[in-house]
Amino acid sequence: MKTPNKSRFLLAGLTASALLFASCGGGESSSIIDSGSTEAPATGDSSAPTAAPTTVATPLASLPPCDTTALDAVTETVNITFWHGMNGDLEDSLKALTDEYNSSQTKVKVSLENQGGYEQTLDKYLQSSQNSRPEMVQAPEYAVQVMGDTDSSVPVGACIESAAYDTSDFLPKALNQYFTEGVQWSMPFNVSDPVLYYNKKVFEAAGLDPNKPPTNMAELRTMSQAIVDSGAAGYGLSLDTGADSGGGWFLEQWFAKLGELFSDNDNGRAAPSTKVNFDSQVGIDLLTELQTLVNDGLAYNVGDNASGQDALLKLADPDKAAAMTIATSAALGTVLTTVQGGLIPGITTDDIGVGPMPAPGDADAPGAIVGGASLWIVNHDDPAKTAAVWDFISFLITAESQSMWAAATGYVPVRSSALEVGAIAEKYKTDPRFKVAYDQLLQVADTPASLGAILGPQREIRTLSARAIATVLQGGDVAAALTDAATQANALLSAYIAANQ
Amino acid sequence: MAVKTRRLRDIPLAFTMLGPSLLVLLTFVLYPLGKAVWLGQQTCNVQGKNCKSVGWGQYTTVVKSDQFQHALWVTVKFALITVPIGLALGVGLAVLADKQLRGMRFFRTIFSSTIATSVAVASLMWLFLLQPSVGVLANLGWLRDIFPVIKEPGLLKDPGTALWSVGISSIWANLGFTFILVTAGLQSVPKEMHESAYVDGAGGWMRFTNITLPLISPTLLFTTVVLTSRAFQAYGEMDLLTNGGPVPQDSTTTVTYLIYGSSSIIKNNDGLQAAVAVLLFLILLALSALQFRGFGKRVHYGS
Repeated sequence: MKTPNKSRFLLAGLTASALLFASCGGGESSSIIDSGSTEAPATGDSSAPTAAPTTVATPLASLPPCDTTALDAVTETVNITFWHGMNGDLEDSLKALTDEYNSSQTKVKVSLENQGGYEQTLDKYLQSSQNSRPEMVQAPEYAVQVMGDTDSSVPVGACIESAAYDTSDFLPKALNQYFTEGVQWSMPFNVSDPVLYYNKKVFEAAGLDPNKPPTNMAELRTMSQAIVDSGAAGYGLSLDTGADSGGGWFLEQWFAKLGELFSDNDNGRAAPSTKVNFDSQVGIDLLTELQTLVNDGLAYNVGDNASGQDALLKLADPDKAAAMTIATSAALGTVLTTVQGGLIPGITTDDIGVGPMPAPGDADAPGAIVGGASLWIVNHDDPAKTAAVWDFISFLITAESQSMWAAATGYVPVRSSALEVGAIAEKYKTDPRFKVAYDQLLQVADTPASLGAILGPQREIRTLSARAIATVLQGGDVAAALTDAATQANALLSAYIAANQ
Repeated sequence: MAVKTRRLRDIPLAFTMLGPSLLVLLTFVLYPLGKAVWLGQQTCNVQGKNCKSVGWGQYTTVVKSDQFQHALWVTVKFALITVPIGLALGVGLAVLADKQLRGMRFFRTIFSSTIATSVAVASLMWLFLLQPSVGVLANLGWLRDIFPVIKEPGLLKDPGTALWSVGISSIWANLGFTFILVTAGLQSVPKEMHESAYVDGAGGWMRFTNITLPLISPTLLFTTVVLTSRAFQAYGEMDLLTNGGPVPQDSTTTVTYLIYGSSSIIKNNDGLQAAVAVLLFLILLALSALQFRGFGKRVHYGS
């Protein structure tokens, strides 16, 4: 090898040592997200006036229009692309619905493009230019604020108005989840909420009524004690700390159940939120309760849930299984298929029980907030395309489509008329386990608190609360963990408002 | 003088010849690189638009932040685990398979087979083997008696073993690549040298250290540099096996995971992501230069 250029080598060495020195050189600890908020108002000073805009309504007239009659005049087939994040059984059912739509008419042809999952779909959408975005996209429930702030969509509210579409039989909660600033941004399509999965056989062995699952944490504690004491199972409850489940989404659910605001400005529904409330006494009590369950050997923490099913799989552990877990209702179809396939020895489909998500403490607090995803019309300044997407959306939400979709997957139909037709009518009658998630959504009147929060950096905030819950379930100090997570979450909120207003 | 004018006259021709590749380099390498460096001192809205400069101090903030320092340390540990072990295993297998014996082709195929396995497939396989509740490895009685951690909390869920477990998966997945490179290197070692050393009474180990190793040293240097930069850029393993966790210890949050991971708190902040990425680029650049410089002297490129 020739002698390398001395100065180049020196430069490389200097860069490396400078970086290492800067990294290792002590100094006070700092967080990377502080830098994102350099222009935002100082955080941690609760007396400072909120910088958020106080306006509420974005008039529909100021947003891109929707003329649903534009499809009548077209002579050539309108091609639309739909980015979605459905996998496995869910994707098969979506394909079946799309094929049915494509063969039912000739004006619109829909091409499905699977982006891998919610996260990937949203990331790709945000990073694409408007021209390379599809005509239609499925975005998860935590992306309402972000999607609205991209100014890239035709609000479905405009199409509902143009078509004089009747939404009177829709679940108000499902529509309201995607309604902010006076605008119906998107159309709910796949609605889910968390439910309690439990092993009826274990309940019987422990002398408990297998048809009476716990409705709150106090009951869950008593039953878990009976299960562990009788040796019917190793643990009462299996918990996880994933951001999409036990670490983030469930925390928001529990606040909503108690009628507590998760964040200020009416859960971000009156104006963008500037701070979160999960470090309040409500949050402290809730996490202390979970921590005690784990400390007392009644609950088992499976951790980050990287596989997405770790908490459920703990029910099938051949050694020290758990009797119950909380997971999304959308998993019910897959759970039953897996058990039916005989992959889990000793458990049959009849042994799987489903109950409402237990409320915190000894509260009698049914109800849940809407999870899953909704359908967005992307604005390409082409009335025919907008009308074509609307036509496809209105097919996906007919009572018949929703009935087929819900029966195949475990998602909740978005309208009550779906319960009277087709597969789901039969399913809800023969297998009431599928109806638990639906009933949960009808229990409580819609208020900003019971609808749950809409936050700009919602996904990142779930990551932060997941970190706090993981700390707590490993024995950490509850108040300190929550305060730390809330401080960082508030910094993210300020930075978001500064960058997007 | 005459030489100089000729050189000047050559310039237009040189540019014409180099033009196409220069254009490609400028468009697809230098321009995006410059853009990333510039983006690193900005903050943008959710769409990555309306970017405002917040000053080059953003790079300093990133370098000083706990998250970056922690991620850099995890990355260095990951490289220290995967590169030496991966290299040693690759060389060992290649030397074993470098014999003219019947059936050796079969073993060569097996040893190199992981090159045809994508990171995703390899990671999912490990994930299911190691899943603590129902995974096969986690429920082998004797294995559990030796390593209780494999069942509770699980190799990928224990802060002490997560990085090693991801590392082992990564070593396994990269083994085929190392094996093929080293095998190719071994085939350029002249047989006569071994034969003459054998006649002179040199044993197997002596021939390996005095003949084989020096002669394949260029291959080893190249493999080390590539494995190191692969280790510094590893992403799929962490994403699929651990999501950068377990939290709150962030035992497997490497620099790439901090940039792009689904549970990274900067995943929607283009400015910070670019800043971290540029810093990773600088570190890798410096590291490769150090490796070529440091090992370069000992490498024998033949005469």
